[in-house]
Amino acid sequence: MRIHFDWRLARAIDSDGNVVDELDWSSKRSVGALADRLAELQSGRLSPEARTLAERFADAEADHLGAMSDSGWPELDEDEQALFSEATDRLARRGVADAAADFDRRLDMLSSAASELRASWTTSEARCVEWAGLFLAELDLDGQRREIPCAVAEAGSIDEAAKALGISAPEHKPSSAEWEALRGHARGVVELTGRLETAEDATRELAREYVPTLSRVVGPLGAAKMIVLARGRERLARMPSGSLQVLGASGAMAAHRRGAPPPKHSPTLFSLPQISKSPRWVRGKIARFMAGKCSIAVRVDHFDGEPWDEEQIAEINRECENIRNRFPKPPKRG
Amino acid sequence: MPRRPVKLGWGVRREGRSLWTRNAVRGISVRGERRKRDSRIEWRAWDPTRSKVAAALLLTGNDASDMLPEPGSTCLYLGASTGSTVSHIHDHVCGAGNHHGGQVVAVEISPRMMRDLTALASKRPGLVPVLGDARIPHAVAPYIRSQADWMHQDLSIADQAQTFVKMAGAFLKPGGTGLLSLKAASERSSDGDDDSRFAKAARILGESEFEVVERIDLAGLEDQHILFHVLLPATD
Repeated sequence: MRIHFDWRLARAIDSDGNVVDELDWSSKRSVGALADRLAELQSGRLSPEARTLAERFADAEADHLGAMSDSGWPELDEDEQALFSEATDRLARRGVADAAADFDRRLDMLSSAASELRASWTTSEARCVEWAGLFLAELDLDGQRREIPCAVAEAGSIDEAAKALGISAPEHKPSSAEWEALRGHARGVVELTGRLETAEDATRELAREYVPTLSRVVGPLGAAKMIVLARGRERLARMPSGSLQVLGASGAMAAHRRGAPPPKHSPTLFSLPQISKSPRWVRGKIARFMAGKCSIAVRVDHFDGEPWDEEQIAEINRECENIRNRFPKPPKRG
Repeated sequence: MPRRPVKLGWGVRREGRSLWTRNAVRGISVRGERRKRDSRIEWRAWDPTRSKVAAALLLTGNDASDMLPEPGSTCLYLGASTGSTVSHIHDHVCGAGNHHGGQVVAVEISPRMMRDLTALASKRPGLVPVLGDARIPHAVAPYIRSQADWMHQDLSIADQAQTFVKMAGAFLKPGGTGLLSLKAASERSSDGDDDSRFAKAARILGESEFEVVERIDLAGLEDQHILFHVLLPATD
């Protein structure tokens, strides 16, 4: 005995192909109700009618693909056809709208926006400082670095900018068009600084909420970047720790396949002080240890575990310290 | 001197190196493609550099019309993307206002692509947009009215051939036509060079119940892509 069904009706069919029992979707049909029904069927559940038949015939097997290849299956009438086409349209649109409820996608947008802003900020800020420094020869480019874009952006002329920065007026001055361009550029940098902060703060907030434990281990921005690279928290949680260790080091991994030595860590892990501030001969060991901890951390977050507290994080840092102390000297080359 | 058009089916014709389909929505291009009038019929250019099916129709060594579905038939398109190719298949299978009574089920997993596909479907009766995983038979089954006469699979995943055997096995009608587009880059996760990956796919298809009619190399139009034209032998 088999049960064939689609969204309209369900049939119990015996081994000779005879229809033994049949149930129609008899309650009020509407576009919304049909869309819900189709979503249920799509996820692999039975229609309510098929479920009733399955209870009625305990030995019957429900076949999701049965109705499709059943030559005796009735065709849709015109009303049903119209209802179906409206419902599929609504369901598809609903799916498109629901993509916004997906934290992976939101974190992707946010974290990618933040890193793109970071990249362009670095370029623009450096250009602004060098440009202003060319005219203001007395400027301390390292000590006063942070004040420069603001001072230039708010000044009316290069002399005013010099005054605001506490140095004497320059000997060679930019032309007025040149000054306009310089000031415009500085204003851009100031504005970019604000945008970068907003984007990074928002990324941190979302990451702390979405992956609290991983955020504590590698920092919220690093955690966000890992999720983006893995294309989703679920995929990151299911990743072996070895993959996580080199996540994002795809160029180095490709070189490894052609014979180069394997990468010791991904850029995300390298940005951790535990690794980047350690001597190079222990970086691989610490990266492997940290990758293991990260992979446990993201599993804790994804599979609803208890987030780690400060004590557990401190324990990890102590262990990193131990590894470093165990290898005080670089290995001898053989 | 204009080339004489060759008819490949009710709504598809070939003029030299270009393909055209009978536009089901008059006056509207889907992706800004050229349109032209020939007496009362409007034809829409089918760009073979953007559509693997079009490329295969131009490059096949056999009769290209064997690779097209019949108007009014049931078609399944796995990996529909934004629906450029789907729109041409729809032109041919459904026609304006779906007067042929065809059904084209277009499955796509990405909401970003589905956005464009829903806009397309709202103007084209008979085209069913499905947001879902094209590798799972029961996720597609509720939408298709019967087994498919024609199906095309174009997913950017590894193991396309295995997925194709599974999906076509579930959905293709005996005697139906199946097309499988393979992109070398998507199969990169498996070992070997491009040729051995294609050979592996060919072996999987060869061991299945399907009969491989032709293996079409799309080089020149879509580099590093091949398209398999297969047939599910009719049971009798």
